[in-house]
Amino acid sequence: MSIAAVADKTVAIFRRDLLSVLRYRWAFMFTVAGALCELAAFYYLSRAIGPGFRPEGLDYFSFLVVGTGFYTFLIMGVHSLVQSVQEAQQTGTFEVLMTTSTQPSVLVLLSAISALSRDAMQLVLYLEIGLVIFGKTLPRPGIGCALVFFLSLAIAIAMGLMVAALQVAIQKGSVVLWALGSGTWLLTGTLFPVTSLPAPLRYTAELIPITYSLDAMRKALLQGATLSVLSHEIGILAMFALVLLPLGLAMFSFSLRRARQEGTLSAY
Amino acid sequence: MARSVAQFGTTSTDAVIFESVSKTFRHRPALFNWIGKERTEPTLALRDVSFNVRGGAVLALLGPNGSGKTTLLKLISTMFLPDSGQVIVHGADTRRDPQQVRRSIGFAIAGERSFFPRLTARENLEFFAALEDVPRKQRRAQSEFMLARTGLLDAANTLVMKFSAGMYQRLAIARALIKQPAVLLLDEPTRSLDPVVTADLWDLLHEVSTDGTTVVIATHSFQEASAVADSVAILHAGNLLAHEAIHPLNADDVRSLYFQTSPSDGSEFAVGSWR
Repeated sequence: MSIAAVADKTVAIFRRDLLSVLRYRWAFMFTVAGALCELAAFYYLSRAIGPGFRPEGLDYFSFLVVGTGFYTFLIMGVHSLVQSVQEAQQTGTFEVLMTTSTQPSVLVLLSAISALSRDAMQLVLYLEIGLVIFGKTLPRPGIGCALVFFLSLAIAIAMGLMVAALQVAIQKGSVVLWALGSGTWLLTGTLFPVTSLPAPLRYTAELIPITYSLDAMRKALLQGATLSVLSHEIGILAMFALVLLPLGLAMFSFSLRRARQEGTLSAY
Repeated sequence: MARSVAQFGTTSTDAVIFESVSKTFRHRPALFNWIGKERTEPTLALRDVSFNVRGGAVLALLGPNGSGKTTLLKLISTMFLPDSGQVIVHGADTRRDPQQVRRSIGFAIAGERSFFPRLTARENLEFFAALEDVPRKQRRAQSEFMLARTGLLDAANTLVMKFSAGMYQRLAIARALIKQPAVLLLDEPTRSLDPVVTADLWDLLHEVSTDGTTVVIATHSFQEASAVADSVAILHAGNLLAHEAIHPLNADDVRSLYFQTSPSDGSEFAVGSWR
């Protein structure tokens, strides 16, 4: 497939998703309201705990906002993809989409990119509102920060493809995602530093790519870390992305073929 | 009735070829049913079915509910893969080269609502046209033409969530035709349509088949089969009982053919329900 054809389909998918979001405007408003409430809760929580608690040398409110904001972005991206597959199964669009002239893997990949782009805009708003309105300033993000962002994005897409494969195979990908989300939320240092965990859980956390994403993003955004300072985390994230992305695509293609064989493509 | 039974040997002009195709659905129990040892018997959907459809021909699939008509259409579309045998569409094997098959087919599924509810009819068509590789410059005109041809032009800018069942069905046909497919698959396309729109759709099918599009249509209506098809295939419990070309034919001919070939072993109720 040519680059022009991929670009053309990308525009079509972005347009579909943008129009759908704009026409579900109340859902968008409630999402914004929910995020504002969450930020206020974090602000008052950090005030209640007091300025003495400085995880990794950072003030607790900034630690929370960047941690939860970036974690939510990554997990929501995975969730958006699984939800779009689930909705397509329920409405009947999935069978139709999987038999168009566009390769299913390309279609799902582009849909994931579209969903994550929307979540990225929400992340920027969340961070801006969270840190600026509550009196903090963000350093100008550098190339290291951008690399952390895009590698984390690739990992989130890979995880999304894996859970979407489970959704196609067992029709309960959202349950798997819920379990996965709860586990990673506990282990990856979203609300408190990983160093607070007991040794076995700390070692488990080191096997989860999001742990490195959050750590690197905090260093980049709150401490202005340069590319060389972030090179360790970037290297690990790149390895995760290199392994997980082809694995996610292979899993999705396999489960799709199995569903065609078993006749369960539209089952939900 | 002037009836000629064609010899359906495979030729290079065949658009769709089924060679000894069988399909069985094995129902895997849900997790808790599996723990509870709940088991259901597999369903034999198609058994050793062989036939072919000449390019530009219209084949009507007739048979009671559960006879295998939709399974057969889904096997052509690559939504399902055969357990054994081969399905060839325009020279491409659905198992070995599914993407090539998908490029040549357009499929309108029965009674479907498979559209994006918060997009208009035009937006939905243009979206699917992009996925079907319709060139960007032709998309608007092509969508407009198909909306007009299916009587939906006045509703082009209406969100499809407000559509009636018949409008959904017409939009599904418009979508199936938007890329001008070589093979058009229709599953009960007139189920929710009024007589005037139904007659208009039959005209449209004549037009597309005259232009060289091969049409395979599953229907419960003898009248529809006689109006659009130049051959009929009769399915019963996954078996292909007959595949005959009949010229000229009317609804009574098709009805007679059906009752001559269908078994009379307790299946009358199902047959009678779609007479």
